[in-house]
Amino acid sequence: MTLEPWLITVIEALIKVLVVIVVLLTGFAYLTLVERYVVAKIQSRVGPNRVGAAGGIAWLQPIADAVKMIMKEDFWPAQADKVTYTLAPGIAVATALLAWAVIPLNPAITVFGYTINFYIADVNVALLFLLAVGSLGIYGIVLGGWGSNNKYSMLGALRSTAQMISYEISLGLALVGVLMISGSLSLVKIVEQQSFWWFVFFQPVGFVIYFIAAVAEVNRLPFDLPEAETELVAGYQTEYSSLKFALFYMAEYINMITVSAIASTMFLGGYQGPFGILPGAHWLILKILFFIFVMMWMRGTLPRFRYDQLMRFGWKVLLPLALANIFVTAVVLVLIGK
Amino acid sequence: MAVNAPVAPAELKSNLNDPLVIAEKIKAQYPTAVEAANAQGIVVQGEQLLEVARYLHDTPELGFDYLHNVTSVDYPDRLEVVYHVSNLARGGTPLTLKVNAARQDPAVPSLVPVYRGANFQEREVYDMMGVRFLGHPNLRRILLWDGFEGFPLRKDYKEPYYEDERKPFGTRWDQGHHVIAEDRNPWHDNVKYPASFDAVGYKPQRDTVRTVGAEDAVATKLRTDKLVLNIGPQHPSTHGVLRLKVTLDGETVVAAEPVLGYLHRNHEKIGERNTYLQNIPFTDRLDYITSMANNLAYVVGVEKLMGIKAPERAEYLRVIMAELTRWISHIAAIGFIYNDLGAFYTPLLYGLEERELVLDLFEAASGSRMMCNYMRFGGVARDVPEGFLDKVQYLVTERFPRRMDELEAYMVGNELFTARARNIGILPRDLAINYSAAGPVLRASGVKYDLRRADPYSIYDRFEFDVPVGTVGDMHDRFTVRIAEMRESVKILKQALAQIPAGEIMTGKKNYQIRVPKGEVYGRAENPKGELGFFMVSDGTPNPYRYHVRAPAFINLTALNEMVVGHKIADLIVILGSLDVVMGEVDR
Repeated sequence: MTLEPWLITVIEALIKVLVVIVVLLTGFAYLTLVERYVVAKIQSRVGPNRVGAAGGIAWLQPIADAVKMIMKEDFWPAQADKVTYTLAPGIAVATALLAWAVIPLNPAITVFGYTINFYIADVNVALLFLLAVGSLGIYGIVLGGWGSNNKYSMLGALRSTAQMISYEISLGLALVGVLMISGSLSLVKIVEQQSFWWFVFFQPVGFVIYFIAAVAEVNRLPFDLPEAETELVAGYQTEYSSLKFALFYMAEYINMITVSAIASTMFLGGYQGPFGILPGAHWLILKILFFIFVMMWMRGTLPRFRYDQLMRFGWKVLLPLALANIFVTAVVLVLIGK
Repeated sequence: MAVNAPVAPAELKSNLNDPLVIAEKIKAQYPTAVEAANAQGIVVQGEQLLEVARYLHDTPELGFDYLHNVTSVDYPDRLEVVYHVSNLARGGTPLTLKVNAARQDPAVPSLVPVYRGANFQEREVYDMMGVRFLGHPNLRRILLWDGFEGFPLRKDYKEPYYEDERKPFGTRWDQGHHVIAEDRNPWHDNVKYPASFDAVGYKPQRDTVRTVGAEDAVATKLRTDKLVLNIGPQHPSTHGVLRLKVTLDGETVVAAEPVLGYLHRNHEKIGERNTYLQNIPFTDRLDYITSMANNLAYVVGVEKLMGIKAPERAEYLRVIMAELTRWISHIAAIGFIYNDLGAFYTPLLYGLEERELVLDLFEAASGSRMMCNYMRFGGVARDVPEGFLDKVQYLVTERFPRRMDELEAYMVGNELFTARARNIGILPRDLAINYSAAGPVLRASGVKYDLRRADPYSIYDRFEFDVPVGTVGDMHDRFTVRIAEMRESVKILKQALAQIPAGEIMTGKKNYQIRVPKGEVYGRAENPKGELGFFMVSDGTPNPYRYHVRAPAFINLTALNEMVVGHKIADLIVILGSLDVVMGEVDR
């Protein structure tokens, strides 16, 4: 039986979407476990060692957590705006997942004469798409904070609005340097260009700015002001419980994976490995895990910025630095005549 | 940190701490002000109290700049309000001022215009005894709620499920079995409400917004609004059930008011029902991090009243326990400060890891890790087990110094910490004194006042140690002063371990019921959190007639509003953390 070519395309896309979502959600679940172990080691504790423990690792802990989350009471604050309150976690997760449509995971392979590309869509403005989707993610937080009708939530939402807007500019500008070198907005092309020299060697400043801004973008310590548990209880998540709360967490971890994937793709050569020993996707996963580990490490060790310090740092340090980086890159590119 | 000058010998200290001398001086200024004076204190005419206090405070020669304690005693014929004041530079025993008030509608002038530290303490006296303080800026109940009828510390107050005037309750033990109090007492749940109070339909008043910046809003045509935020009593970083009513302008704090009493259990009333000995384990529950030091402050007070002294070995054991307690309390405090800064528990857990080792030692000595109940009148409960002192020796010579170098290198040098802590929550020197701040908070503001030096108790006059002080009085100073004090504690511990003799640990034999002669005493000790004082009045019976606790954390909170106004809400949390409040002590 032969299938129509368009049907094959649709089925292929659907399978890819399914695989990406399942992998991301499993990744999220086990990242929470990884984080608990990393932080436990930093704090000289043992970490989870009960649920399905084998070899010192509680393999079933994420599943137990998920079951617990689902069973919890789904709490509705009396004065909450029902629509936004419900919508917010969904927006947060949807936008987090959306970014993965354009990230290439592996070089294309050919099976039985059929070429499989390891990305869902090769959009020629992929990078713009990523930034746009990333900006949409803030709606989840703002609507959640506003809809809860709680003062802590509102303060958290306001903080996150200001923070995300400020850091998104630096984030975008840090990536412009890479674009100027690669001359393409397509992530697939950008990765292919890095087969030998990773862009981090051409854009070290851009890389550092991107990483700092990315940590701020996903609200991790030392930039976790929207949550700021010691001040705002849990910020925009204060009133959320049960699955809605889990969705916010899911969004946060998937965003962590996403920004790590973008950093790997843009600066560290994506699926391109230095020695060619492992298949491509492994390299990408290793690089992503490295960035995630650094974020967890920072969470385990650093205190938090204050709100005004954060804004000052964003506007007065990162933004001028990012602009200067673009300028220098442009000058060098003109000088070497590229 | 400067080195403290050696203690002046007693005879060189001026006799300005002698109540009789002071009474003469007051008489010279205000002939009718002094009602009576003896070696215990001065009884001042109620109407002239404020002038006398102002005179004592403002005269440079006298300079009684620090109000230690305000409390009151209910006598059958009168209510007596008791003040303890002293000059911090001079040190020594505080001067006791007393004012008599009628039992019917008692009123005395408020001392808040002179000593701002009297604010919360006078509210507490009003709350518990019903003494109205004329001229107090905000005289409301502080520990109890609005719908409370009566003044619980008065002798004629009968609490719900009242059983007996004093312990041991006759109703409990003569039949050899326990019966639930509700079943047998004639009062039942005698909960009463004020006459005008509707207990069923009670709704707390809506929090009003202080419109401080309203004029600016009019001038700029910008419609702004203040936000009242209740931080606590359930909040991750209020260190228990403290509630702060904070008025915010955006993220900036306009005013912060502590609302207390969520952990109130009327410690003092229970303490008056208890026998003296029963109160020792009860003091463990004040500041539950520092139970050993609480024990020490209490037994020091009662021993002063009984006129006994503990044997040498017991005194050394007390000092060792108290200094270990100081060490663990401070390491927990600096860990919590970091926690409030948002460092996800890591520094705190490093500190608690060390604390565990000390708690193991406490367990070996007293049988309990946190509620130690170790000190006794005239000694300690039991001698330390074999090998105990070697373990302490190992900790203070090897482990603690190494750990502190490590923590100091990571924590004080951290740039994020410096940015967050420098010039945050400044409490200037004179305000710190005026607000009756105590302990590390006072010393961080540059006041070199430590009871171990200023009014030595136990055997602290034998040890060589410095009193570290800060310069600015900000968060950073309160942090570094604590670290420096930990080093001094280690110094004291080393000396105590080298000098500790063998021998008795108890004067006389162990006694269930002690005889405490008639009299009153203000016993105090330098707790890790500050000056912990016990004011006790004995009428010769086995139970204290009056038992008052001067809780340092409670009085330190008075200055909170002063420190946080104008800072961001994130700073508010950290400043509160740097005060190191423990609600078990604040609410009592």
